[in-house]
Amino acid sequence: MASTTSSPAVNATMSQPPFEKPSAPPINILPSQLARIYSLVHPTLLLALAASRFEAVVANPTRELLNNLPWLALLQLFYVVLCVPPAGSLETTSSGDNEEKKKASPRSPTAPRPGKSGHRRKQASGKNVWAGLWARLMPALLSVTLTTFIATPVLAALLVLFGAPLTTHNAETVLCAAHMAFLSASGLVYAHGVDGLVWKEVWGIARPADAVWGGALGTGLGAWFGAIPIPLDWDRPWQAFPITILAGAYIGYAAGSLISRTPFLYGKRVQFAPEAIEEDEKKTN
Amino acid sequence: MASTPRKGPRGTPASKNDQINARAADQSKESAIQEQKARELENEFKTKHFGVMGVLTWILLLHIAGIYFFTKGFLLTRMVLDNKSSCQELPFDIIPGSQHVPSNQQANGCWHQKSFDKAVVIIIDALRYDFTVPFVPKEESEAAHLFHDNIPVFYETAINNPANAFLLPFIADAPTATLQRLKGLTTGTLPTFVDAGSNFAGTAIDEDNLVAQLHSAGKTLVQLGDDTWQALYPGYFDANLTRPFDSFNVWDLHTVDNGVNEHLFPLLRPENKSKWDVIFGHYLGVDHAGHRYGPNHAAMASKLQEMDRVIRDIIAALDDDTLLVVMGDHGMDIKGDHGGESDDEVEAALWMYSKRGTFGRTSKESLLPPSNAKERPIPQIDLVPTLSLMLGIPIPFNNLGSPIEEAFAGPKGNDWANLATVSRLTAAQIKRYQAAYEISRGGADDEESSSLWSAAEAEWKAGSKSFTSKSTAVRSSYELYRKYQRHTLDVCRGLWTTFDVPSMIQGVALLFGGIALLVLYARGMKNDRTELSSQLLSFVGVGSGVGAAVGSVLSLFGFTEMSTIDLSVFLAAVGSMAGSAVVMVKKPANLTLPLPNGMWGWLAFFFTVSQSVGFASNSYTIWEDEILLFFLTTFGVCAGISSMRQKTTTDRVLGVYHSVLFVILGRLASFSRLCREEQMPFCRSTYYASSTSSISAPWQLGIPFAVAFFLPAVIRSFYSGSKSYEGAATLWISYAFRFGLIITSIFWVLEGADDGEWLPLSKETLKTIRVFLAQLVLALALAAGTGAYIYSKPCISISVNKPPEDPNAPPAPIIAGVEQKPRTTVTILGFGNMYGTRFFFLVLNFALAIILLQKPMGQGAIALLVWQILSLLEILDTNSLTLSNSPIGPIILGLLGSFYFFKTGHQATPSSIQWETAFIPLSTIKYPWTPLFVVLNTFGAQILAALAVPLTVLWKRPLQTSDRVSDQGAKSANPATKLLSDVVQAVATHTLYLATINLATTMWAGHLRRHLMLYRIFSPRFMMGAGVLAIVDVVLMVFAVGGVRWSTLSVGEIFGW
Repeated sequence: MASTTSSPAVNATMSQPPFEKPSAPPINILPSQLARIYSLVHPTLLLALAASRFEAVVANPTRELLNNLPWLALLQLFYVVLCVPPAGSLETTSSGDNEEKKKASPRSPTAPRPGKSGHRRKQASGKNVWAGLWARLMPALLSVTLTTFIATPVLAALLVLFGAPLTTHNAETVLCAAHMAFLSASGLVYAHGVDGLVWKEVWGIARPADAVWGGALGTGLGAWFGAIPIPLDWDRPWQAFPITILAGAYIGYAAGSLISRTPFLYGKRVQFAPEAIEEDEKKTN
Repeated sequence: MASTPRKGPRGTPASKNDQINARAADQSKESAIQEQKARELENEFKTKHFGVMGVLTWILLLHIAGIYFFTKGFLLTRMVLDNKSSCQELPFDIIPGSQHVPSNQQANGCWHQKSFDKAVVIIIDALRYDFTVPFVPKEESEAAHLFHDNIPVFYETAINNPANAFLLPFIADAPTATLQRLKGLTTGTLPTFVDAGSNFAGTAIDEDNLVAQLHSAGKTLVQLGDDTWQALYPGYFDANLTRPFDSFNVWDLHTVDNGVNEHLFPLLRPENKSKWDVIFGHYLGVDHAGHRYGPNHAAMASKLQEMDRVIRDIIAALDDDTLLVVMGDHGMDIKGDHGGESDDEVEAALWMYSKRGTFGRTSKESLLPPSNAKERPIPQIDLVPTLSLMLGIPIPFNNLGSPIEEAFAGPKGNDWANLATVSRLTAAQIKRYQAAYEISRGGADDEESSSLWSAAEAEWKAGSKSFTSKSTAVRSSYELYRKYQRHTLDVCRGLWTTFDVPSMIQGVALLFGGIALLVLYARGMKNDRTELSSQLLSFVGVGSGVGAAVGSVLSLFGFTEMSTIDLSVFLAAVGSMAGSAVVMVKKPANLTLPLPNGMWGWLAFFFTVSQSVGFASNSYTIWEDEILLFFLTTFGVCAGISSMRQKTTTDRVLGVYHSVLFVILGRLASFSRLCREEQMPFCRSTYYASSTSSISAPWQLGIPFAVAFFLPAVIRSFYSGSKSYEGAATLWISYAFRFGLIITSIFWVLEGADDGEWLPLSKETLKTIRVFLAQLVLALALAAGTGAYIYSKPCISISVNKPPEDPNAPPAPIIAGVEQKPRTTVTILGFGNMYGTRFFFLVLNFALAIILLQKPMGQGAIALLVWQILSLLEILDTNSLTLSNSPIGPIILGLLGSFYFFKTGHQATPSSIQWETAFIPLSTIKYPWTPLFVVLNTFGAQILAALAVPLTVLWKRPLQTSDRVSDQGAKSANPATKLLSDVVQAVATHTLYLATINLATTMWAGHLRRHLMLYRIFSPRFMMGAGVLAIVDVVLMVFAVGGVRWSTLSVGEIFGW
């Protein structure tokens, strides 16, 4: 659908967002060894767990999805607390980064260099462990609250708009939305809080690629593609709503959070308009 | 959007002031020049408009040619003859004075001595032959399945008492659906997709058939079980004894069967024997067990055992004069489904039984029932002459079957005279049918069949002289007659069931070529399309002329087998495509690679192609409505995302608002559903009061009133957004349009009153009032509306404020930059959306007519469609997609048209056509109006969407006149032709979508021509795609592009050119 900027014709200036104020840069996974390893393990682990529960979900979707939801929430929280810089820390990071950039490093214009900021963070946490914990606990709480009470209803409404039944299967729809919300929104809220600029970019699918945003976008795209097998007449029990959609969402999440961290994609944004061609037209006119 | 533009020459009030003569003269000279220039530009626009219409006509003809060639090879047709066989009239020209019945002895049978008075005909739906014979392992390890050896009654009786019973494989003709099979089993003809001449709307059989013949012979007929019989033979069965059951619920294995048993066995008791002559019992349990569980399941085993007991009970209750026939109408495949023509699906079983012992075998080899269906199979249509002659009624006129040997061979198996007689009767009837068919269709008897016939007749004459039933002449005449029957059957099968693949390929090739050119024309050209028309048309003309000439020469000299006309048409189409390709490719500088670019281009491409690919699957064809909703919502979400990226707040807010609105409206419309059979049980129809009725629920009568109240207000709000609710718009939208909608609502209340008998008025009075109201609305929408559309001014209001100090100052600056002294300020409201709001009137006219012709639920849907179209236009505008010729607008309109086709109570099946809507504005059938109204009802959504296509480039298009753009470069001197070129590009893109869908459905239908769902799913979808393409081509050319002429002229008249 949306084409990413892989075209060589598009130069670096074009991957700037269409907003005047600079928004938050892409998220970096925290530098600790544990965080870096677990951030790779987590999507795979989630996918493996989902696969192991697949049979049970097919047998009884509502009960199994409901039972698994707290575990998903816990896993997601564990992941973000361990691996993702919490909301609020980002401003300091980015401002610190800007200073740093002025001083030395013009090489990485958008991405903070993980080593240095992490180094500083370690020092800070060394001084006051409790303050650091607190700084992570608040965004985590916020993340759970907003994911449950805003992201879930919004995604449920979207599911219905895409054709999920309105008069029946309500439990399935809400549970599917809740799972998708914890996959996609929990990380975003934890990392960005309620930063208006960021959320504007989220709605415009204009965030630069990073683990959190990649996971969220992957969840949505995966769920979209997951709807494809539903109408087929294979008479398989797993074709029931919402199993394939969730399967797609989990796969999309795992793929998105891993792929978007590769150097090829990291920091890039989804482009809508063929800007190179528009440029051409301007010249000819 | 107030603005103060320069006034064009037409708008200049004639200045009659003698004080400044020189200036006036100067000015008049100037204005004369300008006027002349304007006239030239106007004429140029008009000429190019004709050129564009010509190009669109050519595209239409190309599509029609492609569809014609494919259809010719694909849709097998058979003429249905209305002739009926009668008792008095034997099929021979001269009745031979032999032992046969003269017509006065009806009591003994009509054409032949009858052998039974009464019959019990039992159909065990989907009784496959291998269910009935003992399982014989083909290899060592093979074990019996659950469906084997559970219904041994047939085999046992046929082995133990050969004179009382026989069992044979009974081969069905595809499609193996119960309805088609019952047709074959009673008429003796072969099924084709289109039975030309039959009533397409109803299912009742017009052809001569067994049931009708039994009925006219005065027999009392009873039908128990599957209610398909009621649809096929309405009125033939005894109303008191007949018990039809719903055949629809395949999950229910027992209701129908128990119902048949409950009513069948009392009738078999001696005291009830006089109440009936023939009972047709139709059991569905085996079929349903197959559909639900598949054949290899314990439920199937127990069902077959149950059937075994039932048959034994019937045998016990039977008397000597009653014939018992048990058969399967088709088999089932490995999954228990049927419809196609695989071996398992066509191999049913036939078993006949009588206590009197009249059956025989002519040879030792045929003593045992065949061990599998490949041995001695008989076609199902053989039942028709067999049953007719056994019960003493005439053979139905269209029969092609042969009498079954076992039934007429006599207990000793040597009654050759009888066999020859029945075979001769049957052959003579077939010959008579063939003669009648040739008269109405043309063509001649082939040599082999006539030689067979004369040989058989010669043997017959020789045999009838010798008077010995064992004479070889009689036997050989029987065999020759039989050969003649089988030969004719083969000929007809070839004629009616063989696809003409070369013709299908020609059609597909033409459609494919058309699409390739359309891709180039719609997406691959940079220059003004209107400049191309004349050259294009002349090359097309030359190409087609050459093609036609070559074609006729080739076929006149006998180089091909195609007919002259077909070959000429085909080569003309090919030639015209070659000619147009030359014109378009001639200047490579004007070409761009017609690849989608940007997110919108790819999205449009993706929607079109993925839908086309999806038509290869029966599931995606069945669930097309849901898939369209999914795509439309996807578009809405993408539009919302794109709107979030807009730089100005207005664009962002408006864009997001309309995206959300677009998605919600689509989902709202999706609640209006009419499910097709294949969607059950996952779909609930809401279009009518209940799933079994075709009238609207009382609450649905409120929908037209809601539409009348809200829709004009909604449209008004869109007009007000650009301050265009001025001029004619007030009258048109809030009065005329709303008046029409209110009349429509009253119409439907009266219709409801008629159905529910709420009003103390006679049906005739109500009908008269209704017809008057409907015609009033149609006159308002199409006659008055069109007239008003042609002469209406744009939706603007101009107010001129003259400065008081110098009232004579001529407001005519030539160069926009020149500063005048105190000047007249002209305020124009509605300036920002002149083209769009003016053109939208055309959509409104058609919307009113189409709304009238929909059922109340469909009216709500069409209103939502209008709203969604307007919302789409705003999305296109706020995302700057109107002026960039993005393909997304026309493609989304294509999706919307298809989506609302389903939301107005239609499906891609012939049975969902709402024929009764033809009688909304008429009381009798009137040509050409009746088909037109049915088309407006059926394809109303697609027509409306097509009409809105020009709006994708006209909506909020800024005014462009020659002097406004001239400073930007002399490339396009006439902005009106640029506008026309944009419109044509949008129209061609829309056509491209429909042509691609049509090509896909065509190719899949052709490719899957042996698929078991061909008749139910792929063929109807192909026919729908072809119909939509042709109709929308016409609508786009005549109305959409035609309408642009008037809207552009009316804007030009005020603002110049």
